[in-house]
Parts: sequence; C-alpha cells; structure tokens
Amino acid sequence: MPLYGTLDITQSSARLPTLAHLDTEAWTLPKAETMQLLIEVPRASTDGLLPKAMHPALPSYVILAVARYPESPTGPFNLAMLRLGSRAGAHPRGFLLGAVASSDTAAKELRARWGFPVETGEVKFLRRHDRVMATVKKGTDTILDCALVNPQPVAGSDVQYINWVTAANAPLDGAIQPLLIQVDPKYTFYRADRGEPQVSTFDATAWNAPGLQLAGPIIGTCCTVDTDLPRIRFVMDPLKPVFLGTRRIRESRADE
Amino acid sequence: MKFGLFYEISIPRPWTPEKERTVYNNCLEQVKLADELGFDHVWAVEHHFLEEYSHCSAPELFLTACAMLTKRIQVGHGIVVCVPEFNHPIKIAERTATLDLLSGGRLHVGTGRSATWTELGGFRANPDTTKKSWDEFVRCLPKMWMQETFSYQGEFWSMPERTILPKPYQKPHPPMWVAVTSPGTEIDAAERGLGSLGLSFAGFEEQEKKIKEYRRRIKTCEPVGAFVNEQVATTNFLFCHEDEKVGVEMGKKLGNTFNYLATQLISTREVFSSPSYQSLGLLPALRRAATGPDASEQQTEGMAYGDPARIVRAVKKWESLGVDCINFILNANEVVPQEQVMASLRLFAREVMPVFAKRPANVAAAE
Repeated sequence: MPLYGTLDITQSSARLPTLAHLDTEAWTLPKAETMQLLIEVPRASTDGLLPKAMHPALPSYVILAVARYPESPTGPFNLAMLRLGSRAGAHPRGFLLGAVASSDTAAKELRARWGFPVETGEVKFLRRHDRVMATVKKGTDTILDCALVNPQPVAGSDVQYINWVTAANAPLDGAIQPLLIQVDPKYTFYRADRGEPQVSTFDATAWNAPGLQLAGPIIGTCCTVDTDLPRIRFVMDPLKPVFLGTRRIRESRADE
Repeated sequence: MKFGLFYEISIPRPWTPEKERTVYNNCLEQVKLADELGFDHVWAVEHHFLEEYSHCSAPELFLTACAMLTKRIQVGHGIVVCVPEFNHPIKIAERTATLDLLSGGRLHVGTGRSATWTELGGFRANPDTTKKSWDEFVRCLPKMWMQETFSYQGEFWSMPERTILPKPYQKPHPPMWVAVTSPGTEIDAAERGLGSLGLSFAGFEEQEKKIKEYRRRIKTCEPVGAFVNEQVATTNFLFCHEDEKVGVEMGKKLGNTFNYLATQLISTREVFSSPSYQSLGLLPALRRAATGPDASEQQTEGMAYGDPARIVRAVKKWESLGVDCINFILNANEVVPQEQVMASLRLFAREVMPVFAKRPANVAAAE
C-alpha cells in the first residue's frame, strides 16, 4: 500500500498551537487575492515533515501560497503559507508546515481557531501586469521572495485548490490531544491568472521545514476569490491511517 | 459480447527483482490461460512512474511475450501515449507494426494522452497541448502504416520523406481506439471513427448516455484511418467464485485496493491549472464512484464479481446498454492470490462466457 509520513506530532505537541474548542466560527473573506506557486521538491527533503496518518504525494511538491485579505473579522491582513502536497486517505491535501501573517491579531486568531502554525511578520503582496510578487520577512530576515511571472488569464474553473490539514492540540473526548484538523475553504472565482513560479529566496528552516529544497516549478496561479475559513468539520488521529482515525465534528457547512 | 483482460500491472512494495518478475509471470500465466479459455483481448496500458499502481511502462514488450505465448487472443497496445515527449510517432508506427507481425495480425492500437502530472511532469510534457498532439498522432499513424513513403510537417513533429518499416500484418491496418476517461472524449472517438476504450467504471446511466452519443456521432464520422472501428469497450473488475458472498467480498477487496492506489495518483488538474484538463473525474474519481463508499447500489451491481449468476446479470446489463466488450482487471497489488485469479478465470469461462458466446467456449480448458 502507499507510503505513509513519518512525523509523530505527539512527540512535539508542546510546540503545536492549541485550540480551546472545536466550535470555531467561520470567517468570510471576500475579494481575496491568492497566489499559489506549486513546486516539486526532492522526496528525501520532505522526510519527517508529514504526519504518520497521511500519504506523501508522488512526486513530492509544496504549495507556496500568499494571500491578501482586504476584509476579515480582524480587519485586512496578508497571509503566507507553506503546505506540503499529500493525501489524507484518498483525498489530496496540503499539510500546513508554516505560516506568517501580517497582523498580530490575525496570527493569534488563526492559531487559536484553526491551529495554523502561524507567526507574525511582514507579508507583501504586489499584483502587477507582468508579475505578481510576494515577500515575507520575519524580523529583518527575508524568508521568502517569490513571483508568478507573466500572468495569463485562465478560467476559474481551470484552477483547483486542494483542502488543507493543520496539526494542533484540541479538546476531544474530554482531553486536550494532538490532532490533525481539516480546513476546507470554498471559493468563488472572479479572476484567475496562470504563470510561471519563480522563487529567489526561500528559508526552509523559517517555514518549519528544515532541509526542504525547492526543485522544479510546476505552475503558479493568482486568483481573486470570495473565500472563507469554515467551521471545523473533520479531525484525524495523527497516528492512524485516516480511514481508521477520522472523526466528523459536524455534519455539513449548512450551519455557517 | 467480447471479453478481455486489462493490465495495469500493479506491484506492491517492497519491490524486489523477484517480486516484479513474479507479478509479470503471474500476468503471463493468466493471459495464456485466458487464450485457452476463449477470451478475446488482452490490453496493457502504458504508464510511467506510478508507484505500485502500474509498473507497465513497456507494454509492447509485455504484449510481445503475450503474443508469443498464445495463439488466438488479440493484443491491445493501449493506450500508447500520443505525446511527443513520451513516444515519437515514427517509433509508435514501427513498434506497433512489428507487434502486429509477431502476433500474426492480432494487434489493436489504443491511443491517449496521459492523465497524471506524475507522468506528464516526469517527461516535461506540456499538459496544455496533449489533446492537440494526440490528434496529430492519430491522423498520422494510419498513413505511416499504409503509405509506402511518408513525410510530415506538423505542430508537434515533422519528418522528411522516408519509408517507415515494417508495415503491419493486418491490412489496411490494425483497429484503432482511444481511451475514454474525460467527459467528451467519447465524442472525439466517434468523430474520428475510433473505438471507445472506456477506462472508467461510471454508472449505467452515464455510460448509456455516452454510448448513445458515440453511436449517433460515429455514423457521420470522418475516420482518421482506412475504416471505422465502431466498438465500445468498458473496464470492470473480475472475481468469479461459486459462493456469491466470497466472490463479492474478494471483488470488493480488489476494487477497493485498485481504487485506493488510483486516488494516490496526482491527476494533472490537481497541480497544473489547464483548460486541457478540466475534469477532476479522470480515472481516480470515476473509478472510485463505482466501488467507493459513495457508490450506489446500481453501480456496485455493475461490477463483475460474485457468483456466476450475479456476474451474468451485470454483463447482461452492460450488453443492454450497447457495450461490445468488457475488459477485466484481475488483480491489484496482488491482493488476490494467483491460484484464485486462475480459478476465477476458469469459472467465468465455464459458467458466464457461454451465456454470451457466439462460438462455444473451450470447456476442456475451463475444467
């Protein structure tokens, strides 16, 4: 059967974000601009990054995502994320390795509500006709400098965003325990462009992915979307295959 | 109704030379028996880099071995990936003609364009252009087989005038097919006079719609080759057992294993936004639809596993929808022991094939 990840998040649970409960209220995020750069990475450089419950994507790839949210319950903010392409059972997922938000409030809320491993930093997002550019700084260090080069319009229906999984401590069955949490935003597309990913600076360690190397670019997209961060619907045991360890927290998105 | 075998050649980890060799030998043993039992086709896919799911990257070699071991069964080279980074069209014409000669005119040629980023990215092929290159290839192949000399200047490849050799044994040329997974490809098949090689296990309703449209459109087609190959083939799992419960359980195990492996493939659309790969419903999703947890009772009913009576019902249903041929997947990751695969083939030949046979089945071989 397929390969599994090797990361045991229960061994480092003190470093994970902690949720007070799994009843997170949804956030609506209208007119967001999201750039995603998909890049293949050597399989060996992802060793130890993916939880035991999940399957690695073959070939291995990461998603560098930078978004500008002009409206949110905490006001405007930018968010940069590094996700590792993977599978939760049969489903494609991006496991969230690291994130940087441009506002302290947003970072605090994203950690507390969905368990994002997010810190505060400077996240710049610039959309120009010839390229879309993003830079991310932690303190004075630039940890990401990237671009989508030569954006060309495509249909929103050409773009597929896969759902995310985060690792966090959360209360379940009366105890706080390390869990994998599915985050499955929905999207309404207003504009979509496609172009070539270009990364000039990437500090893997700063993204909680020491040793990760970027290899061949796949494709980049930049889209204007109405999106959200929904209520938590599924959590997974981090040590069991997801078809054995998945728990449904609520039935559907109907209550959002 | 014709019956065939369909090989992805799935090999479980850990891979050792002996294990890979054993699985290949198991497949050859099955093909030899299928030939004796009266099966019509053996198809082998072309896939690359698809760990566990398919180790069938050189199907022309496997099919040559099949042809050498058998007398009657037809060999389906399909699909050949018609993308220049994978296969040069001259090489396709040459090796298919050679296989047709070696098999004594038993070759069918399936065409397609690959559905996974794992493969397209591995060959550094551009997903945006695979439909276009496929069209160029299928237009050229019959001419390369039939004309004494051939030259070509196209968007994806070109060649000065040369004589492409050898020529196929079958005249004017072997039957041509196209893999139908993406919605709408059945129309591509019909308009070019190609056989529809269905690789999904979509439910009866969806298949019926596709087949009707295929039959309607092919009536007025402009064939790419010298003749119209109006045939509809579909894919299924086969596990036939005297005890229905045992048959269904093992069949589901086979289907679930195959589908789980299929869902691990990185479909092109998952990572490469392209108008050329609109549908997520390429092979993993469609296959899962038939046997996964969301499968309807009707879809499960279409699966060829269980006891002979249940399988006869399933095959009759496919026949009533207009399917001409069912190609069976016999194993995935070797979850079905080889002796059970062989017993299943024998029982199917003995109890199911005669119900649909225009000629008597080989009863002696099935005993």
